[in-house]
Amino acid sequence: MFWRRNKKTEQEAPAEGGETGEKQGLGNVMKDVLYGMASHGNVTAALRTRMYMEHLFMFITLGDMLGIPVLPPYYSLRILPYAVPNIESWKQRVFRERDFTDALY
Amino acid sequence: MTTPFWFVVAALVFYGIAFLGYGRWYDRNVWKPDAKRTTPAHMYMDGVEFFPASRYVLWGYQFKSVAALGPILGPFIALQYGWLPALIWIILGNFFIGWLQDYGAIMVSVRNNGRSFGPISYEFTGASGRSTLLGFILFYLQMISATFVFFIAQFWNTLPGTFAATVGIIITAVIVGQLMYKVRLNVGLTTLIGLLLVVLSIVAGVYLRTPTDPFGAWSAPFWAALVGVFLFVASVLPLPSLIQPMNFISFFPTFIAVILIIIGGLLSPVFGVSLQQPAWKGFWSPATGPLWPMMFLAIACGAISGWHSLVGSSTTSKQLDLETDAHPVGAGAMLSEGLVALASLAAYMVLAPGEITKNTTAWVAGAIRLTEGFLGGKGAEAFLATFFGVSLVLYAITVQSLVTRFWRLISAEVAGQGRFAILGQKHVATFLGILIAWLFAVSGSWNNLWLYFGGSNQLLAGLALMLISIHLARAQSQSGWTFWPAMFMIVTTILGLAFQTYVFFNAVYTGKTLVQPPLGTIPWAAHTLDAIFTLVGVMLIVLGLRMAVMTIRSYLASRAQPMAVAGQTATPAR
Repeated sequence: MFWRRNKKTEQEAPAEGGETGEKQGLGNVMKDVLYGMASHGNVTAALRTRMYMEHLFMFITLGDMLGIPVLPPYYSLRILPYAVPNIESWKQRVFRERDFTDALY
Repeated sequence: MTTPFWFVVAALVFYGIAFLGYGRWYDRNVWKPDAKRTTPAHMYMDGVEFFPASRYVLWGYQFKSVAALGPILGPFIALQYGWLPALIWIILGNFFIGWLQDYGAIMVSVRNNGRSFGPISYEFTGASGRSTLLGFILFYLQMISATFVFFIAQFWNTLPGTFAATVGIIITAVIVGQLMYKVRLNVGLTTLIGLLLVVLSIVAGVYLRTPTDPFGAWSAPFWAALVGVFLFVASVLPLPSLIQPMNFISFFPTFIAVILIIIGGLLSPVFGVSLQQPAWKGFWSPATGPLWPMMFLAIACGAISGWHSLVGSSTTSKQLDLETDAHPVGAGAMLSEGLVALASLAAYMVLAPGEITKNTTAWVAGAIRLTEGFLGGKGAEAFLATFFGVSLVLYAITVQSLVTRFWRLISAEVAGQGRFAILGQKHVATFLGILIAWLFAVSGSWNNLWLYFGGSNQLLAGLALMLISIHLARAQSQSGWTFWPAMFMIVTTILGLAFQTYVFFNAVYTGKTLVQPPLGTIPWAAHTLDAIFTLVGVMLIVLGLRMAVMTIRSYLASRAQPMAVAGQTATPAR
């Protein structure tokens, strides 16, 4: 994955906050900070651009799932097996409450 | 005590205490973050908006997103009262208010399912609260745009060489975008090529110097129009074509510039760079008025800034791996930005009073003074002038590109349907937004516009602190630590905006316009602009007051009738 997660997960982390996550080497920390400053915003923006294009595709092909039939059901059903892995997160994103403050970056 | 060294050290010590002492105490006793509680990044993980990222990545991202022209230029205006009040506000403002807001904004969003400030304000203050916030943000965006367009134009106008270097970097950004997204070249190699082209652009700027002609063909309106053309193109093109690669490639020169100035401040005793500015000049400045509240408006981002709460609640909170990461990310990034403001203040402090000119390019002269000792001496001055000058331009132009795009998106939301739908159309909305900003910018009353910008920005911070306080009051947690700073910010900014509005009203009433040439020489245009600025001030005050009243009512109601808030451990209220 392009982003680095804290190595210690929620299950391993102590209950009291403050010192969570394993100590990373200085090199990794610097790499993360540099990535965060220089590229993280770009990466998330690129992901969003792709997300909107995927939304369009999903609306066209499987819009009837949200009550917006565009393609005849025959074609939707043919595409369905390929779209199944994305359906849940697609619905979640489409139905999520959004407003102007979400469009900031 | 005659060099900036001790002030940089003092700030590091104070900020260290703020982060490790007060910060951790506040963290433990008020928000009580729990590393075992699932964050929105995990709960709603979709790999696009919600996904867990390392705290270091998020710190870097938050810092880069919040550090812009504010902490660099704010101290310049504040210097009119002497450097001591500015230094105290940068240190104590950040210590008691600034980081609390950034950190709190992230936590409020995390505890409200990763929602941004729009939906949160809707929940806390109702539909009218959200509409008021939207209206306020529209005016706020215009103030940012007007000041930033003015500054970019002025930098190009008064720092010969920065225009050629900026054009070179814009071309570099287009090439980098194509290499990344079309050719799909390795990111490391693309970055290397980009950096090489950036250096070449700066070198080209040293030789390709544009004319400076204050009131002739190469005047500020001409340069501001060029800024407008760039912003229009950047805003209507898809993000990966220009804005994204421009932000990416600009990161390197801008942050190297700040790091060099901080190193320069720390090495100042070695190279004999000493303080030249007086510590105290007086409570009243003829240009900006009384120290309180005006200085607190002038220095925005280095001490506290409402923009940060928008960034923290719209993106960072959705990618927080653990709740306990919010403190290092939010507080850490804000305190780091305080250092940027301090570095800028140091750059102004080492200039003699006569060297502080009316325009803000004094920062470049101060930066050269601090760094030339270890960067090649007098021989490197031409290169350093272009480098620091173009860094200033990049700080402004990258943020302004995003702001113009944000304006376009909000316009689409506000006027997207109905009779005025044309105003929400992509090109029309962008053009109108830039036209208003251009008109305001060429008025030349940047000092006053900056105070409007600072006032609206600081007022937004006060409102963000109120939303944080409401959440804490609902959860029966200690809300006084954010409520009283919120009150201070709201009262200060409303009074500051009122004073500034009075200044413009007075200009209308007496006929002594604040608008500068060339528009200042056309009486009807000058008086119309003075009147418009008065109305803008009135609107900012009305919308800000309305929002303040609604949030205070909601806060009092929440204290009187707390409710169960998910993820907030109840503690006795203060």
